[in-house]
Amino acid sequence: MLNYEKIKNDFPLLNKQAQKKPIVYFDSACMSLKPKQVIEAMNEYYFYFPACSGRSSHRLGELVTKKIKEARQIVANFINADEQEVIFTRNTTEAVNLLANSLDLKNEDLVLTTDKEHNSNLIPWQMLIKKKGIRHEIVKSKNDGTFDFEKYKELVKTSRLVSMVHTSNLDGTTIPAKEIIKTAHENGVLVFLDAAQSAPHIKIDVKDLDVDFLAFSGHKMLGPTGTGVFYGKYNLLEKFEPFMVGGDTVEYSTYTDHKMLKAPEKFEAGLQDYAGIIGLGEAVNYLEAIGFDNIREQELELNRYITEEISKFPKIKIIGPTNPALRSGIISFYIDDMDMHQVALMLDEMSSVMIRSGQHCVHSWFNDKKIKNSARVSLYFYNTMEEAEEFISGLNKIIKIL
Amino acid sequence: MFCIIALIIFSILGIFSATHRELAKEALDCVFRRVTLRPCNTGFREKIKSRILVRLLSRSTFLARLFNRHFELLSWIFFILMIASTFWTVKGGYNYYLYGSCNGLNQNGFCAFDPKGENNKVTEINATCGAVEKKEKNVTLKDVDLSSFSTKNIGSKNTVVLIGCYECDYTRKAYADIQKLVREQKTNYIFAHYPAKENTNYLSGVGYCVYKEYGERFWQFNDYLFTVDKVSIYGKDYMERILNNFEFDVNKINECLNSTETTSVVENQLKQLQKTHLYGTPTVFINGKAFVGPKPYRVYRNEIKKFIIF
Ligand SMILES: Cc1ncc(COP(=O)(O)O)c(C=O)c1O
Repeated sequence: MLNYEKIKNDFPLLNKQAQKKPIVYFDSACMSLKPKQVIEAMNEYYFYFPACSGRSSHRLGELVTKKIKEARQIVANFINADEQEVIFTRNTTEAVNLLANSLDLKNEDLVLTTDKEHNSNLIPWQMLIKKKGIRHEIVKSKNDGTFDFEKYKELVKTSRLVSMVHTSNLDGTTIPAKEIIKTAHENGVLVFLDAAQSAPHIKIDVKDLDVDFLAFSGHKMLGPTGTGVFYGKYNLLEKFEPFMVGGDTVEYSTYTDHKMLKAPEKFEAGLQDYAGIIGLGEAVNYLEAIGFDNIREQELELNRYITEEISKFPKIKIIGPTNPALRSGIISFYIDDMDMHQVALMLDEMSSVMIRSGQHCVHSWFNDKKIKNSARVSLYFYNTMEEAEEFISGLNKIIKIL
Repeated sequence: MFCIIALIIFSILGIFSATHRELAKEALDCVFRRVTLRPCNTGFREKIKSRILVRLLSRSTFLARLFNRHFELLSWIFFILMIASTFWTVKGGYNYYLYGSCNGLNQNGFCAFDPKGENNKVTEINATCGAVEKKEKNVTLKDVDLSSFSTKNIGSKNTVVLIGCYECDYTRKAYADIQKLVREQKTNYIFAHYPAKENTNYLSGVGYCVYKEYGERFWQFNDYLFTVDKVSIYGKDYMERILNNFEFDVNKINECLNSTETTSVVENQLKQLQKTHLYGTPTVFINGKAFVGPKPYRVYRNEIKKFIIF
């Protein structure tokens, strides 16, 4: 059971008594709220030990080095990885770019994605088509938005890399990652999972999944902005050529040569966002204390209610499966001939409900389906039933003016 | 199109509030297509539309629905109305500047800049020209012989004619401006007294005689009659004192007044003035163009230093 009183205390924005116009925050898939603990951990760095990690040998430098090591350990434990397999990045996008630029993909190598990729896991491959002549194929979802395993099994045989969104930010569906990875490996194919939307909501165990690469962003899981993680199996990372090099990536250099450090350091070029990384460690601690079972339970309850209520409006179409249990904390919907930006703006203006509208950086899917845009409710454990009711009541009013 | 309306409205509101200034900036961006409706961004149009819808929705669902369904049409109607009203406002302002009335020279309709219509007010005369409609376009100097009136001819290409009555407030109001105009713009000048009010009817003859007998000195006398308290010129008794003060020979003036020649000149003068179809005093002609009612000084000046668009 969630202790909502404590949660309310930890997230200032949820303390409605303290606000003139209390906010209902339903946009956690874009950016989650951050608990005080995360902010305090970051402030602590800036106030008391704002030094360099790994470079300076004075006391403050050593303290930062220790804190960063701790954070890396926390994050590694979070996904059941080894410490040296965790590379800190700025976000998921940077992680995908690291993979695309470091993996030795060649002309005609096939990269397989779903049809619901965030631009972050689409554009890097499109760039490689131009640069290296790789090929890119899409496994189209079934009509209900779920993963088409049969089609996948066909396409994976000739692939070099499967690079797929674990949980879609468009409709909240989660692909059967374990089976996908197993099949890929049977065909000698590597697998990358974009876990930007799954890591905040479900337990990820890279060993159990046997995934080769995985990435997620800190800011979607209570962490600070500008923090992300790239995970790679160590034996694979060893073979990678880092795509950004410079300070902190080499053991030594001469005027003509250098010796690279090992992973993960060789991938973390330049001075890092130490405060952010420390904050990310704290965010993981907070999430683990909340527990994924509780998170799942709360999200499902709210998603069920909202789905049920929305289904009463015949004009509204939900993207993805009708079953809320298959849509994580996401309800993405649209109304024909209506600009969904307007719905989002009106909800904000009328009821202080913050939802996202647009194409959610999955333009390719919208263009293919010829749908203008959608409004997206994305829930997290700190959302409540009263908030869901507030949203539905606002939506009710808007529907009346159509 | 919507952005243009928003830009105009928010620019005006922006004068008073910072929030609207921000919106005006956004509208400007929108106008220049800098805010493209990129999917990751929200359009300015939707933002404003939503704000209006929410306000309408709190009052009437029907109105909000109407607005939502016909937003494009309403925007166009609003836009056209705004362009039209902007045109009329600018034209009104221009007319006011040029003629002292938003509706054009000597036009009486409502004008926000001159709500009481002060610039068009005249002392009405019950002229015998009742057959001719009281219309400014009929007021003319055509075929009017002004040669017997007091005249200051300095050989300018511009001529100002003031037809006014000594006792009338509106003529008195215009008088100072006309004097200034004649002085500053160095124009020829003809003054004609039109006896619009009975108390001072007799002054037509007096004026004629003073001008006839004393020439240039008439103008000082004329200034005095227009600036002194009205009551002091109501009767002939006062007049003797005034003439004395100006060191005019009262007997000589009386003689002139009593002569049949003066009577016939004054009668003819009245006839000539009626031929102008004037319907009130003051009526000013500048190079033959009529200005009825006391206009602001700039209106008279602009007629000499021409600057006309419409
Ligand atoms: C599924 C998915 N992948 C990738 C990203 C990109 O994340 P970031 O912007 O943190 O790089 C997002 C962000 O919304 C996402 O939802």
